[in-house]
Amino acid sequence: MHATVVLGPVDVLIIFLVSIVAGFIGAMFGLGGGVLIIPFLTLVEGVPVPLAVGASIVSVVATSSASAATYVQDHLTNLRLGMFLEIGTVAGAITGAFVSVFLPASYLFILFGIILLYATIVMIRARGIDFPANVRPDKTSRILALGSQYEDHSLNRVVKYEVTRTPLTVFIGFFAGIVSGLLGVGGGIINVPTMNLVSKIPVKVASATSNFIIGVTAAASASVYLLRGDVHPLLAAPLIIGVAGGALLGTKVLKVTPPTRVKVAFGILLAAISLLMILKGFSLPVVL
Amino acid sequence: MDLNKLVSYSLRIGVFASALLSLVGLFVWLASGFDNIVSAAGSEIGKTLASAFVGNDSGIIYLAILILIATPVFRVAISSVYFVKEGDRKYVLISLAVLSMLIFALVSGYAG
Repeated sequence: MHATVVLGPVDVLIIFLVSIVAGFIGAMFGLGGGVLIIPFLTLVEGVPVPLAVGASIVSVVATSSASAATYVQDHLTNLRLGMFLEIGTVAGAITGAFVSVFLPASYLFILFGIILLYATIVMIRARGIDFPANVRPDKTSRILALGSQYEDHSLNRVVKYEVTRTPLTVFIGFFAGIVSGLLGVGGGIINVPTMNLVSKIPVKVASATSNFIIGVTAAASASVYLLRGDVHPLLAAPLIIGVAGGALLGTKVLKVTPPTRVKVAFGILLAAISLLMILKGFSLPVVL
Repeated sequence: MDLNKLVSYSLRIGVFASALLSLVGLFVWLASGFDNIVSAAGSEIGKTLASAFVGNDSGIIYLAILILIATPVFRVAISSVYFVKEGDRKYVLISLAVLSMLIFALVSGYAG
């Protein structure tokens, strides 16, 4: 027996409108948009947590695929790095999808909130730095030729960058994958600061590469949720259309936004969401 | 075709097809007086999917969801083929590792 929910045309319309915003933010910050979808569906629409997570996972796949289509073409995504990191995140996602059955929802919210709060602090502390200087590629990075370049439209120049401490980023990516499997979020909340702060990758490349990765990570979890009956068609349909549209807008905005501003916006977004989720976890009345 | 274009087109086509089918599914649902739809699980999904071809709203949306989930998987698969053609052994191994885990997720989902 699985959870269910009754939805009318007005609910579907509201979900569609909110998912445009989620797709936009998800595409800009490499988050997939699940961080907004889950609280919205559970707190506003009264959707049971398993169905909200299932719907969110589907929306993450849509955000990722729609935004990555643009980022990959513009060479903002580091394809080789993305594919290598996927080994960690996909393994984590499979692990996470299976342990979620044993964890109650309130703990999930608190766990989610604390992880996000930590990411916020790390990100805000490094907000003023455009690009890290004197980055030496590690052995893995040299063997796999991970260093690359992209054209930054906000700075009007080509930015060359190296990738360092690759194994640690893959290791952390495994835990990001677990979070994705547990909560219906692509794990981008962890991957973006990790790529930026541990591996010294420019923040916009980190966001675009995260967007590329989370589609595959979420697809691994999505198949599990789908077969379990946690993907509701009337939640999925407006979400897919909405986030795909919002994601296309988000990619256009990220291209022309200065890197330092991306970091600050990312930090503010994370702080707000993490506090909200922690409050919810402790069963306090939270209005979104 | 270079890898960036190949990956980009695969993703674009998958998302577009899925969004279009979602839209069709929602219109059918509205036209039929928005009946109460419930989610399917396990083997019911196959039956629901089959109903897409007789114009069932839930079935059409399930088809959209399936195409969407298949899109990143297809992207990994087509990347593997590209690396094989390029003779890039390291990346053949990397993409095949990801692909086999994705296939495992699908198979174990059936079991669980």
